[in-house]
Amino acid sequence: MTCPRLEYRAENDEHEFDHLRPYCTVTDEFVSPMKADICNDRFDFDHEDHCEVFQAAVEAAAADDD
Amino acid sequence: MAYQGYADYFEAPVIISVAPTGGMHGKEANPNLPEQPEEIAEDVRNCEKAGASIVHVHARDEDGEPTKDPAKFQELRDIIEERCDDILVNFTTGGGNDREGRIRPVIETRPTPDLATVDLGPLNTRGDVVAMNTRVQNEEYVRRMNEHDVKPELEVFGPGHLTEVHHLADEGMLEEPFWTTLILGMQTGTIPRPRNLINLVDNLPEGAEWQCMAIGRHQLPLTTMAMTLGGHVRVGMEDNVYYRRGELVESNAQLVERAADIAERLERPIASTDETREILNL
Repeated sequence: MTCPRLEYRAENDEHEFDHLRPYCTVTDEFVSPMKADICNDRFDFDHEDHCEVFQAAVEAAAADDD
Repeated sequence: MAYQGYADYFEAPVIISVAPTGGMHGKEANPNLPEQPEEIAEDVRNCEKAGASIVHVHARDEDGEPTKDPAKFQELRDIIEERCDDILVNFTTGGGNDREGRIRPVIETRPTPDLATVDLGPLNTRGDVVAMNTRVQNEEYVRRMNEHDVKPELEVFGPGHLTEVHHLADEGMLEEPFWTTLILGMQTGTIPRPRNLINLVDNLPEGAEWQCMAIGRHQLPLTTMAMTLGGHVRVGMEDNVYYRRGELVESNAQLVERAADIAERLERPIASTDETREILNL
């Protein structure tokens, strides 16, 4: 399953591209193609296990709920 | 050929390879990194003019993400041939653990590439995910490349991968020279220190010809060192997106120009494409 925090965008405050590119809504940054493999759970990757950004976001959300 | 001292240093032409794109980072790291065929071909053309005789090719989809689609590699093969004079083409087989998918571009494009990479051993990536690159896979890739008249480029990410070079050579699977890339600074591979480059060179089998590839800020000093050792060099934005600290590379040709300038200052001739064919027995 693709990371729910992944989006495809063409621009943010710093960059403007011709095409949609992988964008992390946690860090508010475009991510590298290599990192996008993790976001998209490709090649045996699992964003829940292998992405420290996603893990930190989940932990932060859980803390907010407490 | 193993290191022969100053005879190599002064007389042997240095092959400059360029890796313009790669599969690890993209325009989010440096907007000048070429991802699409048109911009790759334009940059490679300028790299060839600056002295590069080999281009190492990765393909990207429209989102800038890596793809193993043979059609995309064919598109790149065609446009590079159209725009450049005579540069040799080297396809990647790196990325992920899809054994068949990784080699399909090499054997399905026409003409087949002049060279293609074989990642010789495992690399840790994230968590419990490993790029496997088993011995069985190495042997299969080399055999299939040989069948298609593609010269294997043996990627030595860590010192232990040299064992695989010796193994493939001992099994008679390789034609001399054994074209080997010594990689420093990649993930869990060789730590990028000068002494480690010397150690890698010292442990190559007789009959090897080698180039140095180093990541990030290590690209400049270690490729320069390789030239003084009689080796060849690979530069390009796949491995390094900065020209110097805080200054992004403007084009791959800029990195090739710097490598060519260093070679000239060291009084090593730069290999033309024909000389590269001769050196690598293509």
